[in-house]
Amino acid sequence: MIVGSQKPIEEIWSMVKDFKKVLVFGCNTCVAICHAGGEKEAATIASLIRMRAGQEGKAMEVNHMGVMRHCEPEYFDPVIEEVKSYDLVLSTACGVGVNFLSDRTGTIPVYPGINTSFYGAVEAPGFFKELCAGCGDCIVHLTGGLCPIARCSKTLMNGPCGGTNHGKCEVSNEVDCVWYLIVERMKKLGTLEKLSEVLPPRNWSTSRDGGPRRVSVEHIREYEEQEAQKPETAGGKK
Amino acid sequence: MKSGSNLEQVISSGVPAVTAELGPPMSADPHEVIKKAQQLKGFCDAANITDCQTAVVRISSIAAAAIAFQQGLEPVMQMTCRDRNRIAMQADLLGAAALGLKNCLCLAGDHQKFSAAGRLKGHPGAKNVYDVDTCQLVGILKKMRDEGKQEGGDPIEVAPKFFIGASWTPMADPVDFRPINLMKKVNAGADFIQTQGIYDIEGFRSQMAKIVNMGLHERTAILGGIIVPKSAMMLKYMDSSVAGVSVPKSLIDRMNKAKAAAGEDKKKMRELQEQEGIKITIELIHQVLETPGIKGVHIQAIEWESAIEGIVKEAGLYPRPTFPGA
Amino acid sequence: MTPGQTKETGTYRPYGADIKETRPYSPCRAACPAHTDVQAYVGLIAQGRYTEAFEVITSVNPIASVCSMICHHPCEQSCRRCSVDEPLAVRHLKRFALEKSADYRRNKRRLVGKTKNKSIGIIGSGPSGLSAARDLSDLGYGVTIYERHPVLGGMLASAIPPYRLPREVLKEDIDDVISKGVEVRTNCEIGRDVKLEELTKKHDAVLIAIGLSQSRSLNIPGVEGPGVLLAIPFLEDVAFDRRPDLGNKVLVIGGGNVAMDVARSARRLGVRDVSMVCLESAEEMPAWKWEVDEAVEEGVRINHRWGPKEVRRQEGKVQGLEVVKVRSVFDANGRFNPSFDNDQTTLIEADTIIITIGQMSNLSFLKDSPVKIDVRGRLEWNPATQTSSSKNVFVAGEVVTGPGSAIAAVASGHRAALAIHLHLQGEAVEGALPLQEKEKISQMPPEVLEMISREPRLKIKHLAPEVRCDTMTHFEIGYDEEEALREAGRCRGCGGGAVVDTQKCMACLTCQRICPYGAPVVTSVSEIRPEYCQACGLCAPECPGQAISMVSYDVKEISETLPSVVGRVDPKRQEPVIVAFLCTHHVGVFGFDLPKNVRKVPVHCTSRIDILDLLKAFETGADGVAVVRCNDGTCKYRGIEKGVKARVKRGQEMLGMLGMEPGRLELLSAEAGRGGNPWAAVCDDFSGRVKQLGLRAVR
Repeated sequence: MIVGSQKPIEEIWSMVKDFKKVLVFGCNTCVAICHAGGEKEAATIASLIRMRAGQEGKAMEVNHMGVMRHCEPEYFDPVIEEVKSYDLVLSTACGVGVNFLSDRTGTIPVYPGINTSFYGAVEAPGFFKELCAGCGDCIVHLTGGLCPIARCSKTLMNGPCGGTNHGKCEVSNEVDCVWYLIVERMKKLGTLEKLSEVLPPRNWSTSRDGGPRRVSVEHIREYEEQEAQKPETAGGKK
Repeated sequence: MKSGSNLEQVISSGVPAVTAELGPPMSADPHEVIKKAQQLKGFCDAANITDCQTAVVRISSIAAAAIAFQQGLEPVMQMTCRDRNRIAMQADLLGAAALGLKNCLCLAGDHQKFSAAGRLKGHPGAKNVYDVDTCQLVGILKKMRDEGKQEGGDPIEVAPKFFIGASWTPMADPVDFRPINLMKKVNAGADFIQTQGIYDIEGFRSQMAKIVNMGLHERTAILGGIIVPKSAMMLKYMDSSVAGVSVPKSLIDRMNKAKAAAGEDKKKMRELQEQEGIKITIELIHQVLETPGIKGVHIQAIEWESAIEGIVKEAGLYPRPTFPGA
Repeated sequence: MTPGQTKETGTYRPYGADIKETRPYSPCRAACPAHTDVQAYVGLIAQGRYTEAFEVITSVNPIASVCSMICHHPCEQSCRRCSVDEPLAVRHLKRFALEKSADYRRNKRRLVGKTKNKSIGIIGSGPSGLSAARDLSDLGYGVTIYERHPVLGGMLASAIPPYRLPREVLKEDIDDVISKGVEVRTNCEIGRDVKLEELTKKHDAVLIAIGLSQSRSLNIPGVEGPGVLLAIPFLEDVAFDRRPDLGNKVLVIGGGNVAMDVARSARRLGVRDVSMVCLESAEEMPAWKWEVDEAVEEGVRINHRWGPKEVRRQEGKVQGLEVVKVRSVFDANGRFNPSFDNDQTTLIEADTIIITIGQMSNLSFLKDSPVKIDVRGRLEWNPATQTSSSKNVFVAGEVVTGPGSAIAAVASGHRAALAIHLHLQGEAVEGALPLQEKEKISQMPPEVLEMISREPRLKIKHLAPEVRCDTMTHFEIGYDEEEALREAGRCRGCGGGAVVDTQKCMACLTCQRICPYGAPVVTSVSEIRPEYCQACGLCAPECPGQAISMVSYDVKEISETLPSVVGRVDPKRQEPVIVAFLCTHHVGVFGFDLPKNVRKVPVHCTSRIDILDLLKAFETGADGVAVVRCNDGTCKYRGIEKGVKARVKRGQEMLGMLGMEPGRLELLSAEAGRGGNPWAAVCDDFSGRVKQLGLRAVR
């Protein structure tokens, strides 16, 4: 899932301070699970903004709301008119949600209420770890199922650098050296010899380096297009 | 000859090779490079010019190498994967070759968070590149040199001819993998290898035995790394904090003893430890050179280039051979 | 305190009432024939919200005060604490809540407008008659009660001895009903003073709720004549203070609860030697164990497993009862079918014998009426519609159900009232009356039981036997506030715990991870299993989707009431405004007596406090906020401490982010035994620290 983290209240205040009516708009999927931007945190941020406004003596109406996901229009369509009744939407969704909503609120600005951190897993309650970089060309079958792109500080593809210290990365002794983990895991799997192959320079065009990416699932698209051609539903989905 | 560099010729001749290290300054002043080049010239076969080591901005490796070259010191230009993508790297390689540089050592590079291990501000917020890794960079150099092609496949009219090097940390985690790691670099095209500093001769020899067993010592020239110890504190730090470096207690004890002999005299304390450090260095050089499969030593006197002359002489590695046209 | 959800009809709906209808009932509630929401009112008592507890109780029980004295409390027998230590003293807590609400209750009495233009005649003013009268009055019908005795209450007034039910208590319940505008015809016996036919003509519907007002007698030699009494006339004499002459020795025949009333009343009439004789063994005897124990304490002797054979008389005067040994009371099929060993007999001496072997109705007034009586002399009726064989004549209570409890008669009265209402509105009755049986929360799993601290129930104090036998005054002493709060705090809140809004749940596992009792199970959404849930509330404030709420005393309720709790903050105040969230379990027992500048927010457990509540307290103007909890050793819930501490710490960090002093928020706890109210002392200390930090500007 997408992991987010909270922004300092001062940063948020600098974004919202000149608006009269602010909606803190939570997203109840990924960022809720990581306690960054669900309805609960949206409520908390709204409360902090109100208190901050009180300190400054500013009259400001700050409310909160939440929907299941900001990244699919069906979820926020039912409340979009209410959302648009605000001067500012502070979305606590991930960056995807902020962007997606921005395209759909007309003249109402949508600002980010949290920082979108990474794609991660819940290692332990309240502890999230980046495990995938979304590079668009997965090779972890060659690396024991562990990703050197996301988890090696230097995205090394052919083995560890010389900075591995007691199984930890040179960047921080709190970061595991993924190459250490890969080697140990592949030893266990009996596939260590796979690592002898030199992986050639990668084609990064599947990653962010290739420009903004899109995925089109043709059989779903075709269905949607047929639906759109029916006169009674034409344009109904946009 | 692949490159015709002095280093390549020394190695080819079978004489144990000696390389040293020259750290460029954090300044636009070339004199520091010139001064250090003068100190090293004649006492090593080539000197590594570091590439913003510990992720600190310094005169670029290529520029400093060119200055050293003008001073008559053969440089080993270092190139990390941290700061450049394959386009910038290849452009720099073409430029370096055009400037007459013939050795290139490929490295992953210290992470930008390293920032001189916290002694300097550095640029921990920088974006790193790592478009390619060390193995892949070695492969690119080889492809340019031997096939006359860029990584992308476009032809190169005049190919850059580099003697291609890579680093190796024989005793870092995961230790089992380190010989494979070396093999990959050799398979990718590394002509020579400079290792991380060695204090634990036992451990090093056991890793080298595996290398010899794999026949890698025949396919690449392995130069054992020697870091000149300056103090007991430095040895302790390296033992505890530098990846892949373990320092036997006996060496630390020797340094401590030297320090203790100075009593309360700070200056003497330093001098005695430096003297002991040089003694240790010379012993290590001999032990490394006696290790089967070793073709030379890479001596790093960090910010202490002036010590090289004495060390090389004392170790019986002086004078260095010379070759016409190198 | 204003009850939150009083509807216009006067029916109070405790927080979460609607959700509760969709879920299994707490065992206490399911066991109550009237389905009194015990968990809700015990919880309200624990928070010091006594009048709301009163509302919950009386919303379904018009004879609540009566029940607080005499109810056989099936709620207690089914309490899930029984498998931990002892059940909650529910009846006694009810008494406390009612006593605390006495003024509130009197001020609340109002005439109800007669909006329906129809009238109902109710024959009998016992529990079922009163219940129906109240319900029908609330619905806007004109109601007339016909009672043959000079006072209302049926058996409650005329047979239950005053030592068990003080008459002023009964009067409170009756006044509640009567004040709605119910017309009362006392000293009016149907069939004697008025004909049933007159009633059916006068009223749109008639309800027969006459109960079982006649004692059964025994068909043995010597039973006729002076010195042998029947229970009901005897109890009526007691009730109306007619003090019959009983001689020196009284023998009571029977082993039921009425027999206990008779025997214990006889003791109180000055008879020192009171004994009882019954067919059953101590284990088999139908009287409640506590009744038996109390009687024995008072010196009543019980002769078990003897059957009455003959009343021995000498010159007409009773000498005693000849009894024969019982072989068995029940036959192989478990039916009542006593067999005797005729060879073994004995004489139990007595001056007076009182027969207490059961009651029946006096149905003589139905002779020649269209209301049919079956071959066994019982009223013909349809339980699905509460109707008799005659149109517009309805039935309720023990006259049709047979002997039972007062609260069961209340339930029957409610059903009959609803049946009458539907019928008069032209709606179908059959199938429309609610089911008596409710699904209930099952017993606590062993792993949960292990986590619950043993905490014995607070003893109900009685007058000493030697004192209480000299008087007809009530023998039981009510809880004081500290006792009541302590006892109420023992409730595990069955059915009042966490519920998930599945529309909002994103199955994030937070609740499952945080719950100390393993209640939530997350699959596609979270399900919080009520048999595991202890209603601590730890999960709700942690839910990142705000999908969890508490059925009872939800966190949202706390937040909503905060502005009124804090009130207007005086810019010129000298003392800081402190909001204290108080765990009621141990803090509350000091009667919530805290310094004046401390605004109290009682909560079921501090784990239920949301970070939003803490912020809201500051938003509403508090200078400092204290979370006042039990100390670890006394906390009712195990495993919640870390969660509460972390939440307060986060709140402090947030204050820091806003440039406020983190010290304005503190987690307080106190050791008892510091003398006085230790929690008041820690609140006072905290208030001092906040004052040092300064008073916040009021904008």
